[in-house]
Amino acid sequence: MKRNARSNFALCKRLTGLTLLWVLSGSARAADLHVPATVEAGQAFSIPVPGSGQANFYLIGPDLAVKRTVSLGSDLQIESSDVRSAGRYQIILCDSSCYSATFEVKGAQPAHLSFFLHPSRVPVSTPDSIDATAFVFDQYFNLVLTPAAVDFRITPASGASFSRRSITRDGVTWMRMGSTPHEGPVQVTAVLGNAEEARVIQQVAAEACGLRMKAIGSGKMVTLETDPVRDCSGNALPDGTVVSFTKVDKEGKSTVDTPIKKGIARAQFSIHGRAQISVACGVVLGNEVALNGGI
Amino acid sequence: MTSRAELTKLGFVKAASFVIAACVLAVAQSAPQPQPPQIRLPEVHLDAGGLAPRTIEQLTGMTIARHYALAWRDLAGALESSRTETLGEEFVGFAKDRLRQRIGDQQKTGVHVRIVDHGHHLKAVFYSTDGAAMQLLDEAQLEIQTFDGNKLLDTQIVPHEYIVLMTPGADRWYVRDLEEVSDKTF
Repeated sequence: MKRNARSNFALCKRLTGLTLLWVLSGSARAADLHVPATVEAGQAFSIPVPGSGQANFYLIGPDLAVKRTVSLGSDLQIESSDVRSAGRYQIILCDSSCYSATFEVKGAQPAHLSFFLHPSRVPVSTPDSIDATAFVFDQYFNLVLTPAAVDFRITPASGASFSRRSITRDGVTWMRMGSTPHEGPVQVTAVLGNAEEARVIQQVAAEACGLRMKAIGSGKMVTLETDPVRDCSGNALPDGTVVSFTKVDKEGKSTVDTPIKKGIARAQFSIHGRAQISVACGVVLGNEVALNGGI
Repeated sequence: MTSRAELTKLGFVKAASFVIAACVLAVAQSAPQPQPPQIRLPEVHLDAGGLAPRTIEQLTGMTIARHYALAWRDLAGALESSRTETLGEEFVGFAKDRLRQRIGDQQKTGVHVRIVDHGHHLKAVFYSTDGAAMQLLDEAQLEIQTFDGNKLLDTQIVPHEYIVLMTPGADRWYVRDLEEVSDKTF
C-alpha cells in the first residue's frame, strides 16, 4: 500500500514535471514566435521557430490563406509573393497546441497614380474651377499611406507652364485652381517619381462681355447683327451659343433666339411704329436700339 | 448675418455628422437581398463632420453607411462559407480581387474564418469635389475566429482599423479598396 502510494506520488511528480516542461516549451515557442511588427509589401523575411518535429503553419492575409507543414527548429520563410497586399496578416503555428502572431504589411514605394481631373470643360478665368485629385499606390496597388509629394504640372495651350506641389495624406491629395484666361486645351499631369498621369481639360470662353448689336433698316424690316461675340478675355464664344433679340412695339413683345454663326448672331424683325429692341446672351444684356417703323 | 442658403448648408453638414445606424439598419434589413443565415447586418455609424473638400448630403451618408454594412455582411458570409458568390456586389476593384483570391485559397486549404461583427465607426476623411471617390477610416469591433475544417485554431478579439475607398455606382456606393492598418493611422 505504502509502496503503491510512493509510486503514485512519483508518477504524479513525473507527470507534473512533463506538463510543466510541455507548458514551458509551448510558452517558449509562443514567446519565441517573433514576427516583425511591420513589413513592406513584397519584402520576403523569415521567422525563427524553436523546437523540434513538425507543425502546421498557417499564414492568413488580405488576399491569401496558406497552410503548409513545417519543420520546427528552422526558419519559416515568408516569400515576397505572400505579402504583396497591404493589411494585417496572421501567422498560426500548430503542433499539439496553436500559437499565433500578427504583423502588418504596409504599402511599398509609390509606383502608380490614380488621377482625376474635374470638370472636363471649364470657362476661362474662373477662380477655383478646376479640381485635381491623385491617389498614390505602390507596385502592388496598395495605397501608400506615407506622405508623398505629388507635383501637378499645368500646361495651357498658350502661356507658360506652371506647377503646384501637394503632399498626400492617407494616400490621397488634391488641389484646386482657377482656369487661365485663354481658351483651348490645358494639360494637367500628376507626377510622383517615375509615375506620371496626364489629363486634359478644355477651357472654353466665359460669358459674353460688351455685347453690342447694330440695326440695318429696310422698309418695315430691320436686320439686327451683333459685333463678334467675345468674353471679357477676348475669346470668341463658340458657334451655336444662343443670342436672344427681343422687340417691343405696338404689336407687342416678340423674341428671336438665334445661334452664333462665325462669331456673329443675326435676326430679322418686322416693326410696327416705334420699337425698342434689346439683345442678350445668357445672363449678359447688350445694348438697346430704338427704331421708328414705317407702319 | 447668416443667409438662408448658409443655414441650409450648415444644416446638411450638421446632419452629416450624426449617427445613422438606426436608419441604416431599418432600411437595409428590409432590403430583399439574399442573406446568409446567422449573419446579421452589422451596425455602422458614420461621422462626416469636417469632411473635405466636399461636404456630404444626408442621403449620401445614409447610402454609404448602408452599403458598407452590406459589404461587411457579405464579407463575413463569404469568409465563413469560403464561397465567392456570397461576396455579393458591394465590392469592386482591388477589394474584390483580393477577397476572391483569399476565398480561393481558403477553399484549397480548408481554412475558414468566422467574424463576429460588433459594429463599425466610420469616419469620412476625404470626398472629392466631383463626388467620384470617398475615403473613410473604420474602427471596427470584430471577433475573428480562424478554423481549419472544424478545428478552432485561433480567436482574435482586438479592435481593427481599416482604410476604405468607396466610389459611387448607378444605385449604390461600392467598396473599392479595404486595407487594414495599425491604429497609428488614426
